[in-house]
Amino acid sequence: MTLRFRRLWLTLALLLLLLAIEFGTSFFPLDRAARPLLLIPAVLMVGAVGTMFMEVGRGPEIVRLFAVAGLLWLTILLGLGSLDPMTRTDYYVQGASVK
Amino acid sequence: MSETYLPHGFQYSSARHQAESAISGMWLFLATEVLFFGALVLTWIYSRHWNQAGFDAGARQTNLTIGTINTVILLASSFIYSAGVAFIEAGNARRLVQCCAAAWLLGVVFLILKFGVEWRDDFAKHLFPGAAFAIQGPLGGGARIFFEFYFLGTALHGLHMVGGLVLVGWIIWRTRHAEFSSTFYTPVIVVGLYWSFVDIVWIVLYPLIYLVGRGP
Repeated sequence: MTLRFRRLWLTLALLLLLLAIEFGTSFFPLDRAARPLLLIPAVLMVGAVGTMFMEVGRGPEIVRLFAVAGLLWLTILLGLGSLDPMTRTDYYVQGASVK
Repeated sequence: MSETYLPHGFQYSSARHQAESAISGMWLFLATEVLFFGALVLTWIYSRHWNQAGFDAGARQTNLTIGTINTVILLASSFIYSAGVAFIEAGNARRLVQCCAAAWLLGVVFLILKFGVEWRDDFAKHLFPGAAFAIQGPLGGGARIFFEFYFLGTALHGLHMVGGLVLVGWIIWRTRHAEFSSTFYTPVIVVGLYWSFVDIVWIVLYPLIYLVGRGP
């Protein structure tokens, strides 16, 4: 088995391990607001697929530029889009009712 | 990509330049796809934040078993296609066809489980957000929004899967016509990038749909 195939097999094993961790931890009694932390293994899995299966480090330089640009704009999209739900404070107003 | 001595389009300085342009072009397309699916993830963040209890009540109705099996299937499919790329690099076209056929079949199994079994079950349980939606009461609104996300997200991913199956089938057809060798296999790489990206989208959708809402 060549080094290339060995790396692919190891990547698959890593991905299945991360999936098992993600699946197992989802049964932990985490607070509802903290449960998005379950996405951490998924982020690692995305990194593994991008580097080992898609071989982002192998092509021309501009490939890395496009990959980084995609992540940058995704970060801006999710970061700016999440600002309102993450920072808004609702104040209780006595006597007010929602119609 | 050692295609220096192969014919190439007039607009490229070499066959290598042509191959690098094709690969870069696919990466640029995938960067736009990241933003396309990013908007879907933002919808999830926003909707769940304002309707946590109802949203999670909806998530608990999803079929975790099928979702997990489908994740394993897509990971295996992406791995097998990558092995096919390694085989054609070594000049083994027969193995590439076998790998592509296996990846293609796994993709079909995914679609059958997703839309033939899981969606059908969801419709039977009245989980489509229509007039007869199953979850009523104070949690009904959030659950309805969850299932709007669920059906839209899985349908968009499914459409990308169908596109990927067509492309993988096209690679099989071209390989069987002896169009690829260890000196020319750029389309195999380009389709592999797309196939792995579809896998990445599912890797993100899986916890959003099946895991985060399954709390105590």
